Order: sequence, then C-alpha cells, then structure tokens
Amino acid sequence: MTDDKDVLRDVWFGRIPTCFTLYQDEITEREAEPYYLLLPRISYLTLVTDKVKKHFQKVMRQEEVSEIWFEYEGTPLKWHYPIGLLFDLHASNTALPWSITVHFKNFPEKDLLHCHSKDVIEAHFMACIKEADALKHKSQVINEMQKKDHKQLWMGLQNDKFEQFWAINRKLMEYPPEDNGFRYIPFRIYQATTERPFIQKLFRPIASGGQLHTLGDLLKDACPSAISPEDGEQKTQVMIHGIEPMLETPIQWLSEHMSYPDNFLHISIIPRPTD
Amino acid sequence: VSCSMAGEEDFLLEEKRFKQYCEDFVKHSQQIGDGWEWRTSKDLGDGYLSKTHFQVRNRHIPPDLEEKNNDNAEQMLFAHVEEPLDDSEAAGVRSTEEVVRYEYHVLFSSSYQVPVLYFRACCLDGRPLTLDEIWGSVHASYQARLQEGPWDTITQQEHPILGQPFFVLHPCRTNEFISAVLRGSQEHHRHTNYITLWLSTVGPVVGLNLPLSYAKLAPEQSRDTDVA
Repeated sequence: MTDDKDVLRDVWFGRIPTCFTLYQDEITEREAEPYYLLLPRISYLTLVTDKVKKHFQKVMRQEEVSEIWFEYEGTPLKWHYPIGLLFDLHASNTALPWSITVHFKNFPEKDLLHCHSKDVIEAHFMACIKEADALKHKSQVINEMQKKDHKQLWMGLQNDKFEQFWAINRKLMEYPPEDNGFRYIPFRIYQATTERPFIQKLFRPIASGGQLHTLGDLLKDACPSAISPEDGEQKTQVMIHGIEPMLETPIQWLSEHMSYPDNFLHISIIPRPTD
Repeated sequence: VSCSMAGEEDFLLEEKRFKQYCEDFVKHSQQIGDGWEWRTSKDLGDGYLSKTHFQVRNRHIPPDLEEKNNDNAEQMLFAHVEEPLDDSEAAGVRSTEEVVRYEYHVLFSSSYQVPVLYFRACCLDGRPLTLDEIWGSVHASYQARLQEGPWDTITQQEHPILGQPFFVLHPCRTNEFISAVLRGSQEHHRHTNYITLWLSTVGPVVGLNLPLSYAKLAPEQSRDTDVA
C-alpha cells in the first residue's frame, strides 16, 4: 500500500523546533544568544548539535568548555534516547519551540552516559539494531549482512538519507512467508514518573490461534496501568512519534512502520493534558 | 518448556531458570559470607544479583605482581595497599590511598537469553571511576583475557532497572562458550550452576572473583529433572 510507505517517510522526516539556551552559570566573554534548530525526531542529540556547540563555544573560553550536555526543566536529557522519544516523554504537551538548556560544566555522572565521539553514538545505535534483530529474527538477518550494510544503516541515519537507510533496513523488516510476523516485537515503554527507565519484555505479535496482537494487547501485558481507566477516565496518553495510535492497531504493523531507525518501538506513557 | 540440550543447539537460559540458579548461588554466598544478594524490583518483580565491596586502592601500583596459583589469584586481582611508608622511605615516593566502592550486578537479558554483568566503581565522595581507572587496578594477565574472551567490548550503558550509567560486558558470544562447557558437564553428569560457570569466567576480567567453593554448588534435586 502506498499509504504505508508514506508513514515511513512521515516518521523519518518528523522535526521538532527547538530553542537552545546556554545555562546562565556558564562563564562567557559576551552574551550568548539562543540558537534555534529543527531537530530530527529519529536522531540523537549529540549527533545533530555540532552547530549548537560551535555557536556557544564562540562566546566561551576554551578552559570553560568540557563535555556538552543538555537539560530540560532540570532533567538531564539522555542523548542515547532518540530525540522524538525525549520530546514526547518530557515536553509533548507544552508550547513550541522546545526549550533546551545547554551545559558545558558539571557533567551529571550519575544520570548521563558519556559521549566523547560520534563512534560512541554509532556503537550504541548498532547495538540497538542488533538487539532488535535478536528479538525479531534470532539475529539471523543482521548476522547475514556484511559490514558495509551495517555501515550504510549508520550513514543513512547520520546523513539523513531515507532511501539509503531503507535499502538495508527493509531486510530487517521482512519475515519468513510461513510466519505472519516477527518472532518477538522490539519495544520499550517509558514513563517519566518511574525509577525504572523503561519496560521491555518478550512479546509475540501473533497469538497462538493466529490472530494479530494489538497495541492494546501489548500494553495490557507489559504496562496494564497505562490503559486501565481510573474513575472511568483515561488519565494517560500512549504516544509514539507524537501521535496516539489506536489501541486496535496490530503491533506487527506498528513495528514495521513506526519503529525508530534502531528498529525499536519507543512508546511513551504520559499524563493526559486536562484542558 | 525447559532448556533444550539436543545436538548443536545452544543451551538457552530461560528467565525462570536464571532466577533459580541465582537463588542457589545466593544461598551458597550466604554460607561463605561472600556478599551476594538478590534484589527484587518493587514495581515488576524482576530482579538481579548484586554485590558491593570496598577496596582500599593504592594509586601507586606496585610493579610486577607475581602470578600465584588460582587460590591466591583472588588477592592479586587488585593492587595491594603497602604498609604505610615511614618518613625515610617516603621521600620521593608519592602514593595516595583511597577507598573505592565496587558494585557488580548480574541481570538477565530477555533479548539474548543470557546473564549480563554490569559494574561500576566510585570513590567514597561519590566520584565515579572511569573505565581506565578501574582497569588500572586489574592484574595484567586478566587484562589480556579480555582480548581472547567471548565478549566484544566493555561499554557504558544505562542500567535497565536503575536507569544509571554502568559499565557492561557485552553478552554477544556468551552462548557459544557456555553451551560448549555445559554440554561437556552434562555428559559427565556433573551438575553445574550456570551462574557459577559464567561468573567464574567473566568475573575476573573485571576484578570480580569467586571463591572455589562455588564449584561444589550443585542444583537441588528438583532442578535436574528438567534437564534430562
């Protein structure tokens, strides 16, 4: 269906208008202007903020600059989570642009992973893809690929090249004709209110009788509090890429069409706004 | 469905099995005072093995620690604190003692169906040690093991239950070597605790050792029937 391909493009090209402001306690030689940028939902903060770093370093002295890190309303932002996930989880029901504070000092060692180079991002990205394929295909598809195919996935993401990425990624979205889907669905469910960073478990897309499991089935199994209405009213939203998919959506379809480039469905459970 | 041992198939560890092995492991640890405990998460009931120990570290690492036999190798894993130098010896020698807190967690990876070792170290003031600093106190021969071992790398990752940065030994090839050894032990009707086997291999590489008494750890009678 042509509509399905459109979904892939819409997911890939999603953007979040963001305003970066330097933390007020950073030492500058002159006033630092905020920096505006459209962030790709599917990428990672440290992969797409070179210009942000350069902009603020221009008004700072070399010795005041250490590893960059980002924070939103006091919460350090985990660069190893896709940008779209961070936004949905922390700021989806607030006014745009997304206001992120930039830090160059006092790296929060207890909260954030270090990101000393692009290689670290690549290693993390590829580790996620490999884990996703372990779940979908017992690692058979990813292991059959050559190193250059792995590289192409990373380059596609890094350079924002949809066709280049999907030329390889489509193989990770296939399954044997005798099956009706993947072995298990790669997914993670996030809630800002829990100490546990995410919920992940084994979940089959096809029931033993052959029916397709839905998003609702997945939530009931992995995070029942997300959908059980309290006082007859749904207090939370289930969000993927900034939208609330219908709970009846087959999870196999969601996995094929709304996964992030790391091949995981990153699902946010957030408080429903009370207008 | 219990683990399959037929032919070439990998010895797959199910999460329930993993918990059982951990339970036996903790029982033995309690008997010998080795400090391992099982921590259950409050929200979902999953959990992990945990051990914390403190080591006094001498920043000035003494040269060539001689290779002793395995029993004593435990003490050799970390550079010892020497006797305090008196003034006459202290001249020209600079060394600082610091107490380091090491934490080791064993979690189950449902994606790869293997245990995974997470670890971190910090000073008493909370400053976390870098991987280089942790490495600096691991004996050279164990450092060499990392090159040949059934793992790819050590990287920093988010702890899946605590959400904090830990170092992790990658589990990619755990299944290979575990299957080979367990196949051998099953053939000789030796009962092996998976955790003991796995941890005794990967542990020393990151400064963690298991006293030899764990090797005598046999699963309880009821476990054996599943494996037949």
